[in-house]
Amino acid sequence: MDFSDSPDVAEFRAGLRAWLGEHLATYADGVGYDSAEGVAATHRWHRALAAAGYVTVSLDPEYGGRGLSDLYEAVVNEELAAAGAPPPPPIGHIAHAVADFASADLKARVLPGLLGCTESWCQGFSEPGAGSDLAALSTTATATDDGFVVNGQKIWTSWAMWADRCLLLCRTEPDQARHRGLSMLVVDMDTPGITRREITLANGSREFAEVFFDDVPVPAANLVGERGQGWRIAQHMLTYERGPADMGWTGRLGNVLAAAQEGVRSGRLPADDVLRRRLAAVAVDAQVLSWHVARSLVDRSSADPGSSGSIDKLLTTRVEQELYAVVGDLNGAAQVVGEQRPFNEYLWARAQSIYGGTQQIQRQIVAQRLLGLPRG
Amino acid sequence: MQIGLDPEQRALGKASGALAADLASGWDRGRGPSDVASAAPSDADWARIVEAGWPALRLREENGGLGAAAVDVAVLVEQLGRHSVAAPVIGTLVAAEQLQALGAPAETLEAIAAGELRVAPLLDAGLLGFAPSAEGALAWDSAGATLAYAPDGSAHALGEPLPTADVTRSVRRPGARVTDRDTALRPPAGDDRDRLHAFVLTLLVADLLGTMSAALDAAVEHATTRTQFGRPIGSFQAVQQIAAEDLVSVEATRSALYFSAWAVDALPPAEALRAARTAKAFASRSGVAVCQDAVQLFGGIGMTWESPAHVWLRRAQTDRTSFGDEHAHQAVLADLDLAPGA
Repeated sequence: MDFSDSPDVAEFRAGLRAWLGEHLATYADGVGYDSAEGVAATHRWHRALAAAGYVTVSLDPEYGGRGLSDLYEAVVNEELAAAGAPPPPPIGHIAHAVADFASADLKARVLPGLLGCTESWCQGFSEPGAGSDLAALSTTATATDDGFVVNGQKIWTSWAMWADRCLLLCRTEPDQARHRGLSMLVVDMDTPGITRREITLANGSREFAEVFFDDVPVPAANLVGERGQGWRIAQHMLTYERGPADMGWTGRLGNVLAAAQEGVRSGRLPADDVLRRRLAAVAVDAQVLSWHVARSLVDRSSADPGSSGSIDKLLTTRVEQELYAVVGDLNGAAQVVGEQRPFNEYLWARAQSIYGGTQQIQRQIVAQRLLGLPRG
Repeated sequence: MQIGLDPEQRALGKASGALAADLASGWDRGRGPSDVASAAPSDADWARIVEAGWPALRLREENGGLGAAAVDVAVLVEQLGRHSVAAPVIGTLVAAEQLQALGAPAETLEAIAAGELRVAPLLDAGLLGFAPSAEGALAWDSAGATLAYAPDGSAHALGEPLPTADVTRSVRRPGARVTDRDTALRPPAGDDRDRLHAFVLTLLVADLLGTMSAALDAAVEHATTRTQFGRPIGSFQAVQQIAAEDLVSVEATRSALYFSAWAVDALPPAEALRAARTAKAFASRSGVAVCQDAVQLFGGIGMTWESPAHVWLRRAQTDRTSFGDEHAHQAVLADLDLAPGA
């Protein structure tokens, strides 16, 4: 048992810290998705991080990664959070899907842009009629002489407004049942027939969009893996998307917690005994979450993550929603009257139990796949 | 970074689990509260416990012990919780570690390691920590113990078991002095005190983990076989949602135990204690919650004496309260983190 950094990890961490110390100030300003300038700044930041070798470090060097274990991805997330830096590009799950399933030709065409962050990607999974029941999706890719023609609609597509490419889960085998009829395509977002419409979230966030496909041609060479393999690839991706470490969440929750604790210490956030105790209780949960994430990452470096990612997401959700609830209560009236950033962050935390598979679906996965309870 | 048990620790867990299961099968909770077998092990069972090296596990080699790491002891204690072992192994481990930290002479510790001297720790009346003296103290997990030592080295005989929630472990009052068994003790250094405290809290986390995981496994087994409306009740979403949250709690508690047990030997004492308080606060809340859910998932049968569900809940509540529940530790952590200038 050893929770401390190995010498290799410590060296990697120190190198990243040094790089951040030197370069963060140049790139950190104005990063966000609320304006064209913010998006441009975000892409600049991602490219700088990629050029320094800190994007998708767990990918094989053959594809442009550094062949490091998932632990190192977590170190990148932790150190960026600790330095107050914007998050790294959320492309690990896409990169692993392409690297593990795509043809050599497709990999050669798309991985350099993806990993170098010179091209921006989105992931087209959810549909209006296929949320938790993802296998019910109805966007079709009909085979033609030289590829496919895509028709349908995607929703909740993060960063679609600015994406150059989309990893699209769609139905290619209409005569096959549900998940057996799905395939994964790489779609260039400037192809004629694609329409994007921004979704403004309850908290004002503008990262999501709907994407409409009307007779969109996609070359056969853009098929990832084989026809009918889409569901398997999607499952593979979700295991990389659910872990809190993948999302860089624990470090950022740590920052929110530390800021709240500082606010109470300094008297800026008045806290009675009940609030102090609730803050201490959620600090306990956040600490246990970070230990659990470390354990998951080490387990994952030796075995397929499988369904245990659902445990991690459920635990993260518990901690995040309680943390923002406590922070909201510490803010008191200022939460409802005054600058609305804290309230918008609280609102966003409510989404944690919805996106990436709802709390209820995650529990069902845990109950049936990990505990072995019978399907209803 | 290597998080998890090594092959030797897994082997220790397996061997400990086998003996724990066997010891547990020889103890009978009877047909009701007045029919419970004593938690004290038979001479034969105690001999097996000593033979397995459990009382000696954590004592240093110069004191007749095996010098095991806290992680190893946690591996054993998880199995004691998993099988609701009645014999006072945890009480013995806690008392031995306390006496070692207080500088007890080697011959006293050697006698404990050899199973010849059977001791129990003295806790304050609130069960919050070690008692400052025998006055008003409680001898914790003391079934079959013959002596308890106060921090001044005075030896005390032990009275009859008090009524307790936990049917698997006894609490007794220290009684008459046994002056010819007095030993020389000294106040511990602050660092030793913190490390002792961290070790003890970690053992309680381990017992909670074993207890809650046993309760969840049994509840899942029950939900798989019990049918209503023509289906196993475990196929209903409402039941699955409860069990799934419980597995999240069990796995998070395991992560907390691993860190806390590692920290006892690897981190500076104050940091180890902080980690142990955090783990104990988490495990106290989640352990009791999971055991309560198990009672619910068992339905009516879970409220009967015959069902083991109440045994797990009794043990979890006792572990939770002993050496401070989540509220006690949250209060300390709040002071550490939130006091002005902290």
